[in-house]
Amino acid sequence: MTKKIFKSSILASVIVLIIGMACVLGVLYRHFGGQIINELKKEAEYLSYGVELKGKDYLENVNGQDSRITYIDDAGNVLYDSMADEEAMENHKDREEFQEAEETGVGQAERISDTLSERTLYYAVRLSDNSVLRVSSTQDSVLALTVQLIPPAMGILAVLIILACFFASRIASRIVEPLNSLDLEHPEENMVYEEVAPLLSKIHKQNGQIRLQIEEARRNQEEFRIITENMQEGLLVIDAYTMILSGNSSVWKMFQVWEPKIGESVYSLDRTEDFRKVIEKVLKGEHGSALLHVDNEFIHLIANPVTRDGSIVGAVLVLMNETEKVQRESLRREFSANVSHELKTPLTSISGYAEIIQGGLVRDEDIRGFAGRIYKEAQRLIQLVEDTIKISQLDEGANPYEWEDVDVCQLAKEVCGNLKDVAYKKNVHLFIEGKEVYCRAVRPILEEVLYNLCDNGIKYNRDDGTVSIHIEEEEENVRIVVKDTGIGIPREDISRVFERFYRVDKSHSREIGGTGLGLSIVKHGVTFLGGTVDMISELGKGTEITVILPKSGKTE
Amino acid sequence: MTTRFERQLEELHVQMITMGSLCEKVITLSAQAIRGVECAGEVFETDKEIDNKEREIETLCMRLLLHQQPVAGDLREISAALRMISDMERIGDQAADIADLSRFIDRNMDHIPAQLEKMVEMTVHMVTESVDAFVKSDLDLCRKVIDDDDKVDQAFNEIKEELANQMDKSLDVKVGLDLLMAAKYMERIGDHAVNIAEWVEYSITGVHRNNEHQLGGN
Repeated sequence: MTKKIFKSSILASVIVLIIGMACVLGVLYRHFGGQIINELKKEAEYLSYGVELKGKDYLENVNGQDSRITYIDDAGNVLYDSMADEEAMENHKDREEFQEAEETGVGQAERISDTLSERTLYYAVRLSDNSVLRVSSTQDSVLALTVQLIPPAMGILAVLIILACFFASRIASRIVEPLNSLDLEHPEENMVYEEVAPLLSKIHKQNGQIRLQIEEARRNQEEFRIITENMQEGLLVIDAYTMILSGNSSVWKMFQVWEPKIGESVYSLDRTEDFRKVIEKVLKGEHGSALLHVDNEFIHLIANPVTRDGSIVGAVLVLMNETEKVQRESLRREFSANVSHELKTPLTSISGYAEIIQGGLVRDEDIRGFAGRIYKEAQRLIQLVEDTIKISQLDEGANPYEWEDVDVCQLAKEVCGNLKDVAYKKNVHLFIEGKEVYCRAVRPILEEVLYNLCDNGIKYNRDDGTVSIHIEEEEENVRIVVKDTGIGIPREDISRVFERFYRVDKSHSREIGGTGLGLSIVKHGVTFLGGTVDMISELGKGTEITVILPKSGKTE
Repeated sequence: MTTRFERQLEELHVQMITMGSLCEKVITLSAQAIRGVECAGEVFETDKEIDNKEREIETLCMRLLLHQQPVAGDLREISAALRMISDMERIGDQAADIADLSRFIDRNMDHIPAQLEKMVEMTVHMVTESVDAFVKSDLDLCRKVIDDDDKVDQAFNEIKEELANQMDKSLDVKVGLDLLMAAKYMERIGDHAVNIAEWVEYSITGVHRNNEHQLGGN
């Protein structure tokens, strides 16, 4: 803008200068022309007196003057000329000034030389004898004058242009300076030119709009961030070149990267074949999904293409950690297999015995014994079904029981009373240690937990072993420790004994009896009561199971 | 605004990751082949895929070099990529060779020395780590791979001793030689993984440890 202002002012100045100079030249030229005519007039009048008095000879004496004097008779013949030989000169009868002087007494004319470089002014006076005295003076023509004036004029012009440049640049920068120092953040507070005011108010309005839009964009982004950050599922957006455009923290956690990999290829997260196939497929515009195995976790990947105007511009990937689901599924499969197996074993025995009896292969006196065996197997079956039902009830969280304050110690004593015969048969001693302590719980479930703990302690014990129950009151909890001197559990099995139907020693489980659901019921029962269960065991020495229950019951 | 050149560089990166991943796959498969799993066919197929990928990446690199005339870090990355793909291609070939050999040794599982198992595991790990180092531009991982090579070399020497001993006693010499060849191939694969790690290091730092004088500086 400064440049533009500078250029225009320079141009204006130069044009004005040139026109001005031309005008001055013209005016001066005319003025000088007029003056010359006046001088010629005076000279002619003055000379005419002399010639009237003394004749032609007078003219010989005034020789040497600046102007050219010509004396012409009434026929137009030149009688005298101060600058040329009068003999050689042609007749002047047809000259404009001569004719005019003959008619009116005075004549005036101007002629421009053939080369255009000179202008000659003539003034003629008619004398009393009808002869004419002409005085002329030569002046440079405008053209010649201009040509002559060019060098000095150029010098002057140059100086003036330099001056003009200087002023123009000052002016330009002075005009622009307030514009440069405009505070566009607060456009309305500027007191500059009136002409810019509409622009400034428009900027002010747009500033407001922009601020609002930025605010809204930020709010949207923040909303989106909050939504995605709180998602447990991973969310990834990639472009058509597999570059990650955005992702939430769950994604980075799943792939165990510690900083967001935005702007990198999605293959830097996972480059396994399954993953690549899904990405390639989705970028061709098809929906894709796969179960990925990342660091011992199962991640379900769902990919959807993003299209705009019919072409694929990227993809949205949703990742769900399905480790638990996959594990649960495998557990469930194991469970159903186990249940069928466990149910089938006693049924096979029952069916076998019944078949033998039906076939009449058994003597009458032996039938009692067989019936006893059938009864035992049937009991086992009933026990198994009961246990399974209990577990499913606990699993479903359906609560057919009432919460009440239970004296844990009293309950333990009752349980031990029930198990006295079993313990006696196995030659295992039962001890209970502890004072009266109340705990808010569901009596049948707690009873089941204690029963199973003690039952296991007795079943998996050595001859002349002990099972001791230690009940202790803590500030907010009740701690129940059941310790036996039994066979113990190998270290690698400890984490699995709470699973349904898990038997450490599968080959001997039938001799010992039980369904393989005991500890699973304990675990589920304790969880239902809002407590925790812990196990320490050493192979061959015994097992110690600690149950901690909150006194105030389960808090949701 | 991403320029076309940057796009192409990103594409190169993605292609390199893909090729690296194929290498991981092929060597994992060949390791299974040594253990007696029937997967030679898949190994050969993956090897072919690796060869195709090499040609693809080579073309891309050439196009980048000719059309874009890259300088400094970009030039380093492209030239390192050109070198890395030939190492990756060799890994594919040698994995295929192992798979080929495994067809003759898989019925002699008893004779496979424990060190070979260990060595296979180490080599697979080295390849994975060298690809990882490339993906993450991780200098520490590069150095780890380079250092791990000594262990693989040592394992190879132990296997050689062991096989010599066994062949002295009962092991069929043909089987013994096949096993030795497989071990040697594994050892070579380890060397290629080191090469890859060295080129990754070069593309990051601009200094290649084997010829620092020629390539040093930017």
